[in-house]
Amino acid sequence: MSGAAWAIGAVLVPLAGATAALVGGARAGRWVGLATAGASAACAGGLASAVLAGGTVRHRVGGWGAPLGIELRADGLSALMLVMVAAVGIAVTVSAAAYFGGAGGGEEQGRRRLLFWPLWLFLWAALDALFLAADVFNVYVTLELVGLSAVGLVALAGDRAALGAAARYLVLALLGSLAYLLGVGLLYAGLGTLDAGGIRAALGPGLLATAAGALVLGGLALKAALFPLHGWLPPAHAGAPAPVSAALSALVVKAAFYLLVRFTREILPGAALPRAEVLLGALGAAGIVWGSLQALRQDRLKGVVAYSTVAQLGYLFLFFPLARDAGAATALSGAGLFALAHALAKAALFLASGAILKALPSDRLDGLAGLGSRMPLTAAAVAVASVSILALPPSGGFAGKWLLLSTAFATGRWGWAVPMLLGGVLAAGYSFRVLERAIASTPGDAPPVRAPLAMELSALALALAAFAVGLVPWAPLRLLGAGGALAGVAP
Amino acid sequence: MTSAHLFAFSGVALLGAGLLGVLAHRHLVRRVVGLNLAGSGVFLVIVALARRSDPPDPVPHALVLTGLVVGLSATALALALAVRLHRETGAARVPEEDGP
Amino acid sequence: MTAGLALDVLLAVALPLVGLAAVLRRDLVQSVMLLFSLGVLLAIAWARLGAPDIAMVEAALGAGVTGVLFLSALARVGPDDAAPRAASVRVALAALAAAAVAPVALAVEALPRAFEGLGREVLARVPETGATHPVTSVLLDFRGYDTLLEIAVLLLAVLGAWAARGGAPSPRPPAPGPILTAAVRLLLPLMVVVAGVLLWVGSSAPGGAFQAGTVLGTTLVLATLSGGVALPRVPPWVVRSMLALGFAVFLAVAGATAASGRALLRYPGAHAAGLLLAIEAALTISIAVVVWALFERDPEERRAEGEAGGREGEAA
Repeated sequence: MSGAAWAIGAVLVPLAGATAALVGGARAGRWVGLATAGASAACAGGLASAVLAGGTVRHRVGGWGAPLGIELRADGLSALMLVMVAAVGIAVTVSAAAYFGGAGGGEEQGRRRLLFWPLWLFLWAALDALFLAADVFNVYVTLELVGLSAVGLVALAGDRAALGAAARYLVLALLGSLAYLLGVGLLYAGLGTLDAGGIRAALGPGLLATAAGALVLGGLALKAALFPLHGWLPPAHAGAPAPVSAALSALVVKAAFYLLVRFTREILPGAALPRAEVLLGALGAAGIVWGSLQALRQDRLKGVVAYSTVAQLGYLFLFFPLARDAGAATALSGAGLFALAHALAKAALFLASGAILKALPSDRLDGLAGLGSRMPLTAAAVAVASVSILALPPSGGFAGKWLLLSTAFATGRWGWAVPMLLGGVLAAGYSFRVLERAIASTPGDAPPVRAPLAMELSALALALAAFAVGLVPWAPLRLLGAGGALAGVAP
Repeated sequence: MTSAHLFAFSGVALLGAGLLGVLAHRHLVRRVVGLNLAGSGVFLVIVALARRSDPPDPVPHALVLTGLVVGLSATALALALAVRLHRETGAARVPEEDGP
Repeated sequence: MTAGLALDVLLAVALPLVGLAAVLRRDLVQSVMLLFSLGVLLAIAWARLGAPDIAMVEAALGAGVTGVLFLSALARVGPDDAAPRAASVRVALAALAAAAVAPVALAVEALPRAFEGLGREVLARVPETGATHPVTSVLLDFRGYDTLLEIAVLLLAVLGAWAARGGAPSPRPPAPGPILTAAVRLLLPLMVVVAGVLLWVGSSAPGGAFQAGTVLGTTLVLATLSGGVALPRVPPWVVRSMLALGFAVFLAVAGATAASGRALLRYPGAHAAGLLLAIEAALTISIAVVVWALFERDPEERRAEGEAGGREGEAA
């Protein structure tokens, strides 16, 4: 199959699965989900090998070339993102199949079973479509698809905290989308094209570029939970059902970050917005500190993990100031590895929380004592994933952070290393609060508990994958560089 | 000033009103009203600017039609959440407490 | 100043003023009513701006679907009894909003007075598509991929609304009076015909699946609301299937075009018009069912009507 066929499959297969899940109902849900997950992951894998072999894959939908029609584009960065979605997606699917179960649990659980699968598969399709889009209005539609499915998934939890979080998430997501849409509308009104390449070619500095750029970047920053627009994230990610939290923290926020990278590096460079990159970096640094401090104050595991996402996203935002001029290629490599490792590790932590919630009455940190002996698999998953979040060698998190740090020093911008190092210290703080309880054993009086094996194993598998990224970083980096993504990102 | 620019400015003002509506209120239904106003403002800007040619450029029209459908979807979801929140907490407002 | 320009000025000034009134009005119901009035003004504005397709959808949505959704929500949500924010805060927020949009106004001002965008190229290549109405060509052919995803958004709205509703019993409408029943009985067939016409002409004139679908959907909602027409009780899986139908057809065409080796969503020339019509017909049904489902359809509706009625009685 050609690269384009894999790319199209990556979008159409999950869409078909979502439709089948909707019609099939609660009983069929998880089987449709599992089958679709496998097929979608295969498409992502196929696309990755096509990109590795043949460079950037392009497709003109409808046979119409841009700017009249919509184009799909898969370079190394897109392919890496799709692989990330596939890896996390499979684990989430397996865990969710166990989490929501196949039958029983009453009417409420039956409703959740019915609704989760179509919502989740639509989210998967939306993410794939987003990473493949080369048309900025097409991106808007995929953003809405991602946002609405995410909100629906958060609301599935049903308790008032989750509902409130879903409502706040929705309002802010819509504000972000409107800002983005207005920016895109202005770009079209001034340039007459919606194609990424076309905009890049035609855009020059000026009032239009600045206004449209501010709107687009602002809208996306809101969706990427950039400080101080991050308030919606912790309640939503902590309040959602655990498999959903995994998808949200690992994948959904990365989508907004990915778009910021595309826009600042490839679509809007003609707008000459240099201070935007520094601003993004500075706010990212603030996010690292703020998120970590708040994580220290949480008394539930999911709360710690959710605030940790805010902090870790802050690291990603340091990409923007570091990628200027000579630092571009290494900064992108660092950010790419970091994003991939974070996705795997963060999803592992949330899936582990899900297993804990199935076995224990709550995920309060106080109640986690002796996790190591009561739920050894889950405890191992938490420990290994934390190693990557802490960016300890040789994990994937370390590889990404090391590349970002070395970019900072190599380009003489060592000031940006300060928040990274500080973040490491703070992460140690909030991680050890969890780990000391998880690893410590209680003297024999706590009975062992069981969570569905599928949930524990999927968490552990992702944690090990995050670790593995650090052992063989050249593999994802080779994919990232294929199709000239690293070169294309340089000015 | 042409009709096109006239309506475009009107759209910007409408967007501002909608934005105020979202920021100034806590009640979810009021925020949905604000979002609808803001959305309409954005659509108005886009379509008005399409009127700078005769016949009008059909691409922005198609974009706004898509946007309208998306807006409907968002409104439906937001209102469903508002009703449910009211049922659970007695007020169609995001609960004040932050965090899990 | 011509009459047309005078009307435009009036509209352009009235729109943000009505919007502002809707935002500032204390009473929630009045606020929503002002939103509806805005919809009417907008529909006229769309017509003045040469966008009849949008005018139709705005009217169908504002007066129909969105209107019903708001009223239904208002009925179940109490009045907004929150203390209004201090005047100084509101002024500050207003200044913030104004400051946020001012640069946009400046950017708009800087745009050239005449601009064609893709208009000329679109009009030149419309004959290559399966439709003759330019907006339809853009929606279903040039940018059909966007439309495919957008139908998914609609489905998500229903799924999300169901997730948010969480199993509330569907409220039963009050028994209708004879006049309403008679009026609905007269109106419904007419509206179905209108929907059909809108669908049919959509390929060559303003109209199409969205317009037809929203009219049809509003019709279904009216039928349910008024209780005047007994819709057959259908099992939940049928509702879900009808919801998915339009999207499934569109998706199937997409898959077929991709699998056949041509580009994704590249319609074979000879069949393009027929395919487009088939897709639009399926979309019309789905949009109508989406609209209907948004308005009180439980995904797992209990067969026991009495049970729901009993619970309803207690909850009331």
